[in-house]
Amino acid sequence: MKTFLSALIFGLCAAFASAQEANPVVSSVHHATDGHVWGALIFATNDASQLTGAQEAVHAELPKLNERLAKVFPFKHFEILGQHRQDIFREYESWVVPSRDLFMKIDSKGPADKGGVNLHLQVWREQQVLVKSDAVLRKDSPLFIGGPPWKQGRLIFVLFLERK
Amino acid sequence: MKHPSEEHDLIRWLDGEMNEAERTAFEERLKLDPVLAKEAEQMRALSASLRTHLPAEMKVPHADYFNTQIGVRIAQMALDDARAKQTGSSWSAALQWLRQPWFALTGAAALAVLGFFLLGPNASGASESMILSSYTPNTNVQARAYHDDAAEATVLMLDGLDAVPSEKKVSGIHVLRSEVEPELASTTMYDDQGAAVLMISRDALGNPMISPRG
Repeated sequence: MKTFLSALIFGLCAAFASAQEANPVVSSVHHATDGHVWGALIFATNDASQLTGAQEAVHAELPKLNERLAKVFPFKHFEILGQHRQDIFREYESWVVPSRDLFMKIDSKGPADKGGVNLHLQVWREQQVLVKSDAVLRKDSPLFIGGPPWKQGRLIFVLFLERK
Repeated sequence: MKHPSEEHDLIRWLDGEMNEAERTAFEERLKLDPVLAKEAEQMRALSASLRTHLPAEMKVPHADYFNTQIGVRIAQMALDDARAKQTGSSWSAALQWLRQPWFALTGAAALAVLGFFLLGPNASGASESMILSSYTPNTNVQARAYHDDAAEATVLMLDGLDAVPSEKKVSGIHVLRSEVEPELASTTMYDDQGAAVLMISRDALGNPMISPRG
């Protein structure tokens, strides 16, 4: 029995060492977070021919997104151009970049009273900051940011606090 | 001596708060005005030096800072009031107290905050996201915040933004996760296949730099 256990331990050590050699160490530092967000850049237009053909799917926790957007923005078609799921780092800035053209910087200000998270948001258009804002983001309550016009339509940034 | 508007433009340029047209026009002015160009270079060097020696982000008051301050003031007023009663102060003393300049300011601020929470667009339920404050560096842009009950969403509408040129191709990215490198002050984004799609960091002025460029 003793011999068997020794052989088993040796075998496991050898297998582990082999695995370490085959897979170089990848940085897997986990930083503390205050939540997770989903950010999307959406193109809204009344002219279907202007749509880009992007095939991005809406977040599963955000039902009827197009119908909800249509209640705020006077357009018929809403197309997700890009999307980004991002941890809200507690100690570091977090970037939500669904597109190189319009993206967001998030600084966590900690958990909010009665749920959600306090955030400082900055919306950037390339090298230009469009707006700086203090906000409370809560679950099941997305933030719609009406961005710049584009091709007779409008770009919209959606930010959503995930439930997990 | 620089005109105040030049000073303002220079600061906005350094802070990356100009739109493309303004930036182009200002950089043309820099080419034609060596004194302004020298000033810009000195301020840029100073800014870079400060960024090197100071944290990238200074601690700013929390959005609830003013509420807290008003709370402190109200507590001070209550304390002063209690002390006045204990010492049997007269009506004239109370009137003197009301004449304190900070009382009017505090009262006005308290009313403003009360009005904001009672009448403001975000005054509804606590389960909704809220915009507490917003600032647009470009004075031509107005930010309006409200909650849309029908959409069950909080809206931050930016009006007056320059249009993205129609010929420009705006394309999206699908990012599933990211890794932050504090030592390098950069974040690398990965797609659902685990492939790195871009990295974002900051230049000497603190503006975001995305690589590779689209």
